[in-house]
Amino acid sequence: MADALARLRAVTARYDGVTALDLIDLDLPEGRITALCGPNGSGKSTALRVLRGLHQAEQGEVEVAGRPLRDWAPKDLAKAVAMLSQSPDAPPELTVQDLVRLGRFAHRKRFAGQSGEDHAACARAMRATEMTDLAARPIGRLSGGQLQRAWIAMTIAQDAPRIFLDEPTNHLDVAHAFEVLELVRRLNRTEGRSVVLVLHDLNMAMRYADHVVLFDKGRAVASGPTREVLNEPQITQVFGIRCRIVHVSGEDAPTLVTLPR
Amino acid sequence: MTNLPPFLRLGLLVALLGALTVLATGMGSSHMPPGRVAAALLGYGARMDEVIVWTLRLPRVALAILAGMALALSGALLQRVTRNPIAAPSILGITDGAAVGAVGFLWAFSDDANLLVVSIHWQPLAAITGAFAFAGLVTILAFLDPGGRGPLRVILYGVALAALAKAAVTLLMIVGPVYRAGQALTWLTGSIAAAHWSDVFVVAAGLAISAVLLLVARSTIRQLVLDTDSAAATGVPVGRAQVALLALAVGLTALAVSQVGAIGFVGLVAPHVARLFHGAFAGGYLAATALIGGVIVLAADTVARMIAAPLELPAGALTALLGAPLFLWLLLKGRRTHG
Repeated sequence: MADALARLRAVTARYDGVTALDLIDLDLPEGRITALCGPNGSGKSTALRVLRGLHQAEQGEVEVAGRPLRDWAPKDLAKAVAMLSQSPDAPPELTVQDLVRLGRFAHRKRFAGQSGEDHAACARAMRATEMTDLAARPIGRLSGGQLQRAWIAMTIAQDAPRIFLDEPTNHLDVAHAFEVLELVRRLNRTEGRSVVLVLHDLNMAMRYADHVVLFDKGRAVASGPTREVLNEPQITQVFGIRCRIVHVSGEDAPTLVTLPR
Repeated sequence: MTNLPPFLRLGLLVALLGALTVLATGMGSSHMPPGRVAAALLGYGARMDEVIVWTLRLPRVALAILAGMALALSGALLQRVTRNPIAAPSILGITDGAAVGAVGFLWAFSDDANLLVVSIHWQPLAAITGAFAFAGLVTILAFLDPGGRGPLRVILYGVALAALAKAAVTLLMIVGPVYRAGQALTWLTGSIAAAHWSDVFVVAAGLAISAVLLLVARSTIRQLVLDTDSAAATGVPVGRAQVALLALAVGLTALAVSQVGAIGFVGLVAPHVARLFHGAFAGGYLAATALIGGVIVLAADTVARMIAAPLELPAGALTALLGAPLFLWLLLKGRRTHG
């Protein structure tokens, strides 16, 4: 399969001795929005971190865009895959503009300052995230939704054809969560970027993802087109809850109603 | 201040440092007005003035400035690499580690007649060894800590090891030869009294090499304001960058301490002043930090030799007087913001 964005083969990863990924095999498609779903501690965030080289796999093979991970130089990997981690952190006095510029690190020449290309990429990223008006504001004075958009702008400014987002809707209310995911959809549909994101909210995955990987206990138990993977028996089995999938009139995406066991 | 363009702010600092240099050079047992100092500096002064300025006073002034620059840069690097505004060479045990090396050197290489059996020029190397040993210990302890590597943990290990280093120095001085103890004591509290041009050149060369390295690494240094995951995701080889910059910070401190003694808190204060005056994310932040470090140590040394003349106080006592309250304030502020 030549159009794989990334691939894990028999990968095991641990955090402080606790197994997070257990001999997992995984293929992620290029050009799509892929959601990694599963219960807490099922390994979905770890899988994303291993794929981006932020966490070292203990064994197994990791491949990104057809090349083994260890063959990538840090800057080349950054140009190929951008990632926003789960709890990014920068000093509160940093302005939005300065933060977004940090996304250009991999494109900088050693002794050169900001190039015209850097400026253009930052401006595009801030426009896409509707942060242009807030460019001069310190990030410590942004609301939760604005802050998340600022970080996403930094990630977009990196100009990578593939973007990984680790729980990008965490800490956001429903309206802001929709805003972020609409942005993700635009990035995919109009700019043709592949997006892989960890999502807790299965309804959001149902609505925005093309492809879903369902994690359970460090393994990928299902992987495929969204509506094939997110079915009632599968969700019941993985999350240990009852659920119904219903169709709301006028809405294309099915809605998942979760019920206690 | 931060709404002036960066080069103008740096220009202001250079002017301040220049004025202070003229003023400090004029002060001493025979007072010289700034006009005569400037004339002597530019080579138009009377012959006697030129001897006083160039041979007697300027080495000390230059050494104070350069040591201040090295300490300030070291502090700024440590704060950036550890992402901790409280980090500084004296707080992470590096300054006292250098002191153990230097005093240990005096103790180990003296013969029965209190004479050094090797050249005193090896002392900086001993200080550097001590600084790296203690920095390494702090790093290893923080790394092995099962309770996580929180910013305050690192500070606690640093403070604990600094205390240990101070105790070791005291012991060395008690068991060591008396004459050496006296020499070590003046050195420890930080005194720039015995400055020669050769010392100045050593520090200047070290600073010049560091400046080149910092220039090459400047975009990486800027990138380290991000948490490690985000920095790595933008393409920084984080582990390698941290180790290299830490080593440079330790080297800069050892360089300064080996020449002027354990002048503390400059590495803590200067970056904070630069942050207020210049902004930590504006271009030229490290240059501003270095200039402010030079100003602080030169001012401290000048006040130290004038305030109770002809007695000289150690400059390190004055910088501690300024730095320790800032350290406390940062600790209190940190507690407030982190709940």
